Amino acid sequence: MKYSFLTPAVLLAAGVFYLGPVATLHAQAQHQHDAPAQVLAPGYRVLEYHAPQPGTYQLPPLGRAGTGLVLDENGRERPLDEFFGDKFVVLSFIYTNCNVVNGCPLATFVLGQLKQRLDADLLLRDQVRMISLSFDPDFDTPEVMVKYGNQFNRDNYDWRFLTTASTEQLQPLLQGFNQSVQKEYSETGEYTGVISHILRVFLLDKARQVRNIYSVSFLHADTVINDIKTLAMEYDAGSAGSAARSNAPADADRAGRRHLLGLPGLAVPENNPLTQKKIRLGRQLFFDRRLSHNNTLSCAMCHIPEQGFTSQELAVAVGVEGRTLRRNAPTLYNVGFARTLFHDARENLLEQQVWVPLLARNEMANPSVGFVIERLKSLPEYQGKFEQAFHGKGPGMETVGMALASYQRTLNSANSPFDRWYYGAEENALTEQEIAGFRLFTGKARCAACHSLNSDYALFTDHKLHNTGIGYLVSMGTRDDKIQVTVAPGTTLMVERALVTVASEPPPNDLGYYEITGDPDDRWKYRTPGLRNVGITAPYMHNGSLGTLRRAVEFYNRGGIRNELLDPLIQPLGLSEDEMDSIVAFLNSLTGSNVDDLVADALSQKVGNVRQ
Amino acid sequence: MKQLTGPAYSIVFVFLLSITPIASADETCMSPYMAKIVGQEDFVYIWTLGMEGLGDEQDKLVTVDVNPQSENYGKVIHSLSVGGRNEAHHSGLTDDRRFLWASGLDTNKIFIFDVHTDPAKPRLHKTISNFVAQSGGVVGPHTSYAMPGRMLITGLSNDKDHGGRTGMVEYTNDGEYIATYWMPTDINLQGAVKSGSFADGYGYDVRVLPRRNVMVTSSFTGWNNYMMDLGQMMADPEAMKRFGNTVVIWDLHKRQPKKVLDVPGAPLEIRCAWGSKNNYCFTTTALTSKIWLIYEDESGDWQAKPVADIGIAEQIPLPVDISIAADDSLLWVDTWNDGMTRVFDISDPHNAKEIYTEKIGAQINMLSQSWDGRRVYFTSSLLSNWDKQQAEEGDLQYFKSYTWDGEKLTHRFSIDFIAAGLGMPHQMRFGSYALYAKKRPAGEQNTVSVAANY
Repeated sequence: MKYSFLTPAVLLAAGVFYLGPVATLHAQAQHQHDAPAQVLAPGYRVLEYHAPQPGTYQLPPLGRAGTGLVLDENGRERPLDEFFGDKFVVLSFIYTNCNVVNGCPLATFVLGQLKQRLDADLLLRDQVRMISLSFDPDFDTPEVMVKYGNQFNRDNYDWRFLTTASTEQLQPLLQGFNQSVQKEYSETGEYTGVISHILRVFLLDKARQVRNIYSVSFLHADTVINDIKTLAMEYDAGSAGSAARSNAPADADRAGRRHLLGLPGLAVPENNPLTQKKIRLGRQLFFDRRLSHNNTLSCAMCHIPEQGFTSQELAVAVGVEGRTLRRNAPTLYNVGFARTLFHDARENLLEQQVWVPLLARNEMANPSVGFVIERLKSLPEYQGKFEQAFHGKGPGMETVGMALASYQRTLNSANSPFDRWYYGAEENALTEQEIAGFRLFTGKARCAACHSLNSDYALFTDHKLHNTGIGYLVSMGTRDDKIQVTVAPGTTLMVERALVTVASEPPPNDLGYYEITGDPDDRWKYRTPGLRNVGITAPYMHNGSLGTLRRAVEFYNRGGIRNELLDPLIQPLGLSEDEMDSIVAFLNSLTGSNVDDLVADALSQKVGNVRQ
Repeated sequence: MKQLTGPAYSIVFVFLLSITPIASADETCMSPYMAKIVGQEDFVYIWTLGMEGLGDEQDKLVTVDVNPQSENYGKVIHSLSVGGRNEAHHSGLTDDRRFLWASGLDTNKIFIFDVHTDPAKPRLHKTISNFVAQSGGVVGPHTSYAMPGRMLITGLSNDKDHGGRTGMVEYTNDGEYIATYWMPTDINLQGAVKSGSFADGYGYDVRVLPRRNVMVTSSFTGWNNYMMDLGQMMADPEAMKRFGNTVVIWDLHKRQPKKVLDVPGAPLEIRCAWGSKNNYCFTTTALTSKIWLIYEDESGDWQAKPVADIGIAEQIPLPVDISIAADDSLLWVDTWNDGMTRVFDISDPHNAKEIYTEKIGAQINMLSQSWDGRRVYFTSSLLSNWDKQQAEEGDLQYFKSYTWDGEKLTHRFSIDFIAAGLGMPHQMRFGSYALYAKKRPAGEQNTVSVAANY
């Protein structure tokens, strides 16, 4: 048999630029471009950058190395994985007839360089095996492989030159390493001797795991050797993100029952007393995105713990598939004390309330109660948990509501600087400005007329609904032709409204409490929110249209927005700039002392996502 | 030296071409690790969003025959529905080009299509449904980018707040999870240098320059915004504060961030130059409407600077897809709002100049070119809740084919995706029999009839 091998040394002697098959291919593809010069791959040259230092990075496992029967240099049949496990392995698929300079010859050239470097490295030299495995069993017999190998490995380094007995025996190996190869045939059906393939060289650890895959653009001895050293130094580093959450035991039950200075006693329905099991189950449900139809939204995606249990990044929340909503996600702090729920007060019990967002088409969009229940029954994380929390009762409309309500009744926050000053008689708990703000709040600014206080506790709400004009303006006001849009920090543009409305559905109308009562006098009335933690629950108003507390105070100082149903309590106030600053300072003193605890408790709950 | 002959004439594999400057095209916008089609492409695979009230309402992979030699030229020959609306968006091929990964920004599913067994009839090979759980909370799989033997997926959001902080997720070509790389933030720079005012941790696109060991990422916005109605969002000042203002330079091999650059106004697609001395990439900012050059300066440090305006920012042209020529001479920029494609001369990368514009439709998003730069394809859809609602017939949701003679575009054919009952077409990827050493079957017939009008 006559054959010759095109070695890298020959090629290098021939010059740096190489006119290879590329030019031929181009001509045949009927390109009129001039044939380009072929540039040698980086592996032949000095690396253009410093290879990263060993041990300063990780090489995560890419899966178990494939195996199959191969023939060694003596023609003996052995499983390939006999060559794995005791050493790090650098494995290269080649065929000896391959003459594409940036293909197999590159791989063999780099392995040759590697061999020289390893030979000189006393620590690594006995830890690495190199394997060149042919994917051309018809031509590459063991005898051919030995001859081929002798050109590169005269000094008996642990570099094996293997082949297979047949194309059939090769298949599992190709599959195991995801190495796609195709023999190319001419138009008349003759094998051209060319096998097209993607060049891949694999680095295996001693656990038979693939740890890196090199292709022509970055196969280089410097990189491979540093990767081998990195594996030798193997270390672990922590991960980031919500993965860090780990279902830590809930402290929420304690928070729920602990009396907090400034709050009244918590009224809990007789049929749903707070228990640790219910609270924990409710917390798990609250963070489970599988509670929406397409597994994208949990309660916590709009009532975000780190964002005051509201969404500070949106004026108006967004529902499943991006469906448009009308109102700001209300904070859930102290929701257990609310007498009515939703901005329009349409619900009065948390146990019932939870089903509205679960089923609303533009919120979590579940098609039915039964759909939610069946999904919960199917999830392994909930097996037995409802039964344990509810005396044997499984997931159901009632128990889902009770569990979620129980968790929400623990989100109570008070013992703020204001509480310690007002109810705790700590004289220094508030600054002079904050005290001045409180005097204005209850006096000249008339805030407390609606955001009311009691002698032994304060929720800062009258539990009633009022028309401030914000809703009226949206429904009845004229729209400017141009809107102000901040497109980047410090860059604000005046944009023709029509340029964006062409891609928009008409904004839905919102008539407030009227939608519940049908009484025309109730148009554009919304519930008075409590003000505890108001400093950390921006943006404000039922539609989130006021971004800061200062803007909210300015809004009331102007007397709201005039309309025939404007609440008579809302009047121009004549506050000075200093007075408004004081009121804002006071409002910021209403942040409870346990906020960090409630957030930490929430973040210790693992987020529910599709697992399979 | 042996000469290549036979049916593989229209392709060349990546190891031959990755460092060879020739021709121009969309093929040049993809991973340098990937096999390339350099002759006539046979198919365009279009990842298409299902549309409520139209056809079967589902996301689908639509295959169009684009080979002028074919009797099915200009026709939809195959359509594969995947179930549900997932906010179909980007797609990318594996390095060996046997599989097309197409993801959904909303449901976080990744559909892996086998495009090699029968390039005319892609089939669904595998669906990854647990992307969020496996990645530890990355939401919104966006770019599917071929790495050697594996895929790198950029994210847009997270499962904690649906905001813009996110990461990148690496898989094997088999779809096995490998690792998550979180974007550097002010709180955790991960050793990167914050060079300006921002380190927002947002993500969007990724490209690599292997010979410089550099990876570049850009930053868009979180689920809250990309899923929201566009008009609602533009009128929501809180939402408008949540767009990315950064490009990050990474150590490619280590997958570690090195430098955070200020690029304000939502930098989206990244295209890196091919010339062996051209150590730079381009991106465009969607909201501030500029072309930015991301380049390595003489001292080896990476910098960012704006090099051209794209239209008039006040008119919100919204630059979307871009495409660089392989000789680094031209940059194509589609501007969604005015439906224009624009060609910029970037032979001086520090001074880009617009040299040609053409209106393609009422809105425009993606563009893909053949390797020789002579065939250019466009699709219309940006995001399901950002797309326009009305336009002249055939101009709203379309696939359009043009030829480019170096000076002007000439229209060849169009497919109205609404009339065809298909949906909203988004990203295009090319297919070819020759990639798999296959020949077009003789007498092949159109296998899918386009939906009749009703």
